[in-house]
Amino acid sequence: MSVEVEVNENDLAEMVEQVWESYLDPEGVSPLIPTYDENQASEVHSSVSITGSWTGYVVYASSTPAARRAAGAFLAMEPDEVSEEDLSDVLGELANIIGGNVKAMLPPGALLSLPQVVLAPEATARYPNTQRISGVYGMWDGEPVSISMWQSRGDNKEGAE
Amino acid sequence: MTPMRAMVIDDSRAMRMILKRIVTKLNFEAVEAGDGKEALDLVTSMAEVPELALIDWNMPNMNGLEFVTHVRADPRLREMTLVMVTTESEQSQIVRALAAGAHEYVIKPFTEGAMIEKLALLGLVPTGANS
Repeated sequence: MSVEVEVNENDLAEMVEQVWESYLDPEGVSPLIPTYDENQASEVHSSVSITGSWTGYVVYASSTPAARRAAGAFLAMEPDEVSEEDLSDVLGELANIIGGNVKAMLPPGALLSLPQVVLAPEATARYPNTQRISGVYGMWDGEPVSISMWQSRGDNKEGAE
Repeated sequence: MTPMRAMVIDDSRAMRMILKRIVTKLNFEAVEAGDGKEALDLVTSMAEVPELALIDWNMPNMNGLEFVTHVRADPRLREMTLVMVTTESEQSQIVRALAAGAHEYVIKPFTEGAMIEKLALLGLVPTGANS
């Protein structure tokens, strides 16, 4: 089974804004500034998979300084005090929150995985047989952050039938 | 006056920390657990049952919905107020959680103000605690 994906860049941008407002920038002084550059570099990333009515991944990727800053904001710590474990935990939670909200916009019957975190750059090889269908790309205090959706090609084929 | 106790149950340490910050600010004593199983073991061993549990849904070992079901089946724990705090935001999931015995539902991401308003709605903090 496959579906027309109805989660577009604007939807993702709205979710991202809520995450910034809730956790990363509650004072509203340091938003994610859009770059629209889907090829911007990342050094760490986290993802959740969604299966069922839609099959694919939601990926949060950033530079290491941006990840440290995010962890610091969540944990009320200075970025340079953040451990690798803290980084993994916060990156996983960010993927979980955004992935969960994406899932809510899909037709019923979608299942969300627990998050996976890789302290290495995002690479398409990690999501075999997928294609990027949507994304928000920006700079947060001069550091790259992106949130993207990768749809399984198998999901597409079935949808074409 | 004895402070109220809140149990914060989430597999993310960062999320537990955020929730602990909020409830501590509201004068709750906070205890935490990393999944439903750990929370259930903890709560059944406590002399005083916490008044409030903030519960994530997607966790390893025992998820939040299973935790709610276990708590509701235990008469000793019936006074606990159960609030799901989760990314599971579809209407059908909310209905499942409420049917299992959760009292309220907070969708991540949430602001501190939104959480406090929800706890005020449940009568656990004074109305206006957010101001």
